[in-house]
Amino acid sequence: MSRWNKALCAMALVLAANQAWAQHSGIGRAATPAEIAAWDTDVRGDFKGLPPGSGSVSHGEVVWEAKCASCHGSFGESNQFFPPLIGGVTAEDIRTGRVAGLAKGGEQRSTVMKLSKISTLWDYINRAMPWQAPKTLTADEVYALTAYILHQGNIVPGSFVLSDKNMAEVQARLPNRNGMTRKHGLWETRGKPDVKAVACMRNCGPEPRITSQLPDHAAGSHGDLVEQYRLFGPVRMAALPVASAVPAAAPAVVSDPGRSLADKNGCLACHAPKQRTIGPALAEIASKYRGDSGAESRLVAKVRAGGQGVWGTTPMPPFQNLQEQDLRAMVQWILKAE
Amino acid sequence: MADPMRIRAVARDGVVNVRVLMSHEMETGQRKDASGKLVPAHFIRNVTATHQGKTVLTALWGPAVAKNPYLEFEFKGGQKGEKIIVTWEDNKGDKRSDEGVIN
Repeated sequence: MSRWNKALCAMALVLAANQAWAQHSGIGRAATPAEIAAWDTDVRGDFKGLPPGSGSVSHGEVVWEAKCASCHGSFGESNQFFPPLIGGVTAEDIRTGRVAGLAKGGEQRSTVMKLSKISTLWDYINRAMPWQAPKTLTADEVYALTAYILHQGNIVPGSFVLSDKNMAEVQARLPNRNGMTRKHGLWETRGKPDVKAVACMRNCGPEPRITSQLPDHAAGSHGDLVEQYRLFGPVRMAALPVASAVPAAAPAVVSDPGRSLADKNGCLACHAPKQRTIGPALAEIASKYRGDSGAESRLVAKVRAGGQGVWGTTPMPPFQNLQEQDLRAMVQWILKAE
Repeated sequence: MADPMRIRAVARDGVVNVRVLMSHEMETGQRKDASGKLVPAHFIRNVTATHQGKTVLTALWGPAVAKNPYLEFEFKGGQKGEKIIVTWEDNKGDKRSDEGVIN
């Protein structure tokens, strides 16, 4: 069966799922309302799924300085690690709903330039931020941070309070609200998009055939993507195929309590085993302090207080709520890394 | 008139850390537009920061400073609740002055 047919079958299965479990006894069960609620966390463009709450720009500033500024810069302007959130938007853009800088090109694109739905920003912060501890913000904090970003982009005044009631008003002021279109492909050929994605349900013509592929050097240009997964949170870490990279050493590594604590506390979100990502690789840290007997206590203090400058300008946030023995176990495990 | 600056000042242990984000084109005068004509230079020349009437920072800038410049500096002796005023002037004589409260 081709991939195409499999995809169609999968779709049909989802559509039929509701009747299927009723018709075929003994196969599966209906999802409970609680299971559906746990899964259905998104916020839609029409604001369905948005929890009640509110947050002011000034509250957002406090949360921002504590949890966001170390990577995104005090004003969301930082280009050090992530592309800037703020910049490139004019009062004229807010009036027209099309960002002139995007059409003109040649400018770095910021988040406020590209954003066409305010619900996307809210949902993203809510689910994915802060980097090392996603899903820890309250709804009110997410409203406050969204308001703060909007204020930095000159979209709302400094006295603004964002809530589930006035999200639509803000949507009507987003600089790129009219900038999104689906009527284009990746490239244009003779004024038309190169591809047009319309789901075909019957009489779809001949089976598609692959006629060209990326050459190996291009397909492999990003290295082993498994090693570059963004790792965070206990649930995902447990399922990750960490062992595949180093089959022989893996069992010993996984059984180390320091390793599981590092997983649990989100260290690996920024520190990969061998490759420098946001922070230095664990192996780099271990080789820097090898043979240094005082390193363990110094690093314990450093994780607790946070730091910047030893491995570059990206700061590490402080982790003050860790237990002393947990912290020591993690540092010991890190210093053993190779 | 240019957009307002963003100013944040935080006092800790007698030292005030000031962060400023200015909104300015910072044209070098070396870039050409689509029709091949030089884009005229337009950049900030002077930056001053004053606290309680006393100048705590002056800077002479040139065209090598990036668009929408970010400036961070520290000075001793500021207290919470006091004001810090940052002013810039560009090569076309445009001026902008904004104030922030130390907290």
